[in-house]
Amino acid sequence: MPKGLIWKFCWAIAVAALILYWLFSILSRETEQRMSFLAPQHRATLLNYAKQAEEIYRQRGEAALGVWLEDLQERENTWVAVVRSDLKAFAGSKISDQFLDGFGLGRSVDWKIHLYFEENPIMELPFLDANTHFLIRLPKSMRPGAYWPHAQLLFQILFPLLLVVVLSVMVYRHVKLPLRRLEKVTRRFTNGEFDVRASAGFGKRTDELAGLANTFDRMAERTGNMILMQRQLLADLSHELRTPLARMDLAIASIEHGIHMDESVQRLYRETAIMSELVEDALTLAWLNNEQPQLRTETVDLVDLLNCVIRDAQFEFQDRHINSCLLESAKLEHTNLRALNQVFENVLRNGLRHTPVGGEVWVRLWQLQIGHYRITVRDQGPGVPGAHLNDIFKPFFRLNKARSNPGQGSYGLGLALVQRNLRAVSGQIFARNIRENGRIVGLEMVIDL
Amino acid sequence: MDAARILIIEDDESLNEQLGNLLRSKGFHTTQHHDGQEGLLAALRGQFDLILLDVLLPTLDGFSVLSRLRKRLLTPVMMLTACGAEAERIEGYSQGADDYLPKPFNFKEMMLRIEALLRRSRVSLQANPTRRELRVAKLLLNRIEQKAWYGEQELVFTPIQFRLLWVLVENRNEVLTKPYLYQMVLERGFSYYDRSLDMHLSRVRRKLVDAGLGTECLITVHGKGYKFC
Repeated sequence: MPKGLIWKFCWAIAVAALILYWLFSILSRETEQRMSFLAPQHRATLLNYAKQAEEIYRQRGEAALGVWLEDLQERENTWVAVVRSDLKAFAGSKISDQFLDGFGLGRSVDWKIHLYFEENPIMELPFLDANTHFLIRLPKSMRPGAYWPHAQLLFQILFPLLLVVVLSVMVYRHVKLPLRRLEKVTRRFTNGEFDVRASAGFGKRTDELAGLANTFDRMAERTGNMILMQRQLLADLSHELRTPLARMDLAIASIEHGIHMDESVQRLYRETAIMSELVEDALTLAWLNNEQPQLRTETVDLVDLLNCVIRDAQFEFQDRHINSCLLESAKLEHTNLRALNQVFENVLRNGLRHTPVGGEVWVRLWQLQIGHYRITVRDQGPGVPGAHLNDIFKPFFRLNKARSNPGQGSYGLGLALVQRNLRAVSGQIFARNIRENGRIVGLEMVIDL
Repeated sequence: MDAARILIIEDDESLNEQLGNLLRSKGFHTTQHHDGQEGLLAALRGQFDLILLDVLLPTLDGFSVLSRLRKRLLTPVMMLTACGAEAERIEGYSQGADDYLPKPFNFKEMMLRIEALLRRSRVSLQANPTRRELRVAKLLLNRIEQKAWYGEQELVFTPIQFRLLWVLVENRNEVLTKPYLYQMVLERGFSYYDRSLDMHLSRVRRKLVDAGLGTECLITVHGKGYKFC
């Protein structure tokens, strides 16, 4: 059965229309039938008239009957007569047996009165003698179906109206309840409850409103995450900025007191550099997150880029060795040099930082298929507990919460930027621990482009 | 050489003052303005060698100042801004800024860029037929034909690679800073994560080494720049 509101409404209206039709026709037929019979007391009255007429005729003769009939005519304001019938077959034909016992000139009091005839029918009440008939046009006061016009009104207007109202209320509730739920959820979301979801209350509904609830949930998910992330980022960022600021304050105080002058100036340079980098990274991260730009406009030779990055990194970390195994050339289309450079620099420096002095970092480049490459960077660091392998790509993630030694143990924004930059050029990254004999001997970053 | 005249249009008074003091201490003449409208008038009136232009300014923002200025003058402009959004960077370039320096910046880096810009505009002023050919030992560069030879062997470079090699050879034995090379070769400002120049240089170096020059012909002076010996 097709789903969706339009079909639900179609079904509801079709069923309601059928019910309306059947109920109307059955009920009105039934009611008309019941209303068409003479009321018992009227029937008794009529029978009584006939009996009286017969008695008067028997006991007091035809003249007295005439007077009584005249009187009755006036009393009931109708036409009354006693008629004698004498059936004679004609031209050799025969009278049907049916008529030998008696035949009627009017309607029996047990028959129903057709309410659709304006004129009242003539009722017949036979005397004991089958050939004498007491006839009376049904008096107005005895006509059944006095309430039939009202009943008709009920069936033709009120009853359908009621059904339509019931149907409308049902449809309204069917639409209004989820809407109200959505409204309530939206209001709560506006008030800062970012974890409310609308679709939970919709059960198995699959119509447009359930679709709307799902869309709302997706929006809430994204918006909520974004707000929470920004909040977290802002909190972390201000926390990270406090430390260099405190050290700068101390350096300024040292200069004021004339102690460690040169050292303090150097420290100020270093700290402003750290702060600048932090702010720059945070802005770039916010830009990558919020605008989700597509940066795929350049062609980059990964080998050239990796060589540049490796050469610089090797210069900075002269006490560690970078062991690279690259291809002859690896042209990657529809990408972005700046983004890739930031990725490789961060990942390589990260690996070097976590590798002990004298250790080695391996950089490998593979071609997965034409136009697709994998770069792995393996360090000799302490690795990351399995549960946190994804967390290191979150901004300012720390393995140990103690911030005693800033810069050490903090992943800062580097890897978060790496992940966002890769997303902008349709790449991805994951980390895995390298084990030897069950012991973690390093961390490997795998970048697929 | 004459002391260059620098116009500073920056609405933050203390930053403006600090910049002015530092630049004067380096021997530049400075003029300072705090809002866009006045700054633009000063820029159009005076003869400046370089304009430092903030983006967020009262009365007229930096981009508008730049676009109006560009209708009349080609004075080098370095944009300063506290907004890190990439979109603004690109806008700054497309409207004709010569360099872009995001705040926070340090003075050393700013000096490198100012020197690069001034030097570039000086070079393009004296300009034209500098030299048609450069020769260092067996390496011969011809600027008109955009061709290079090492002995009998012709070396194939892209136009950018050729220009890079030309600038390096022309200033032989001198360390050329990245901001300067960006200005001279790629004709745009340098930003931290930009690797285009390094990649071009690495290609040039590989071609020279393949042709038989020693690995020491093109030297990377870390933290400073590049040098051709």
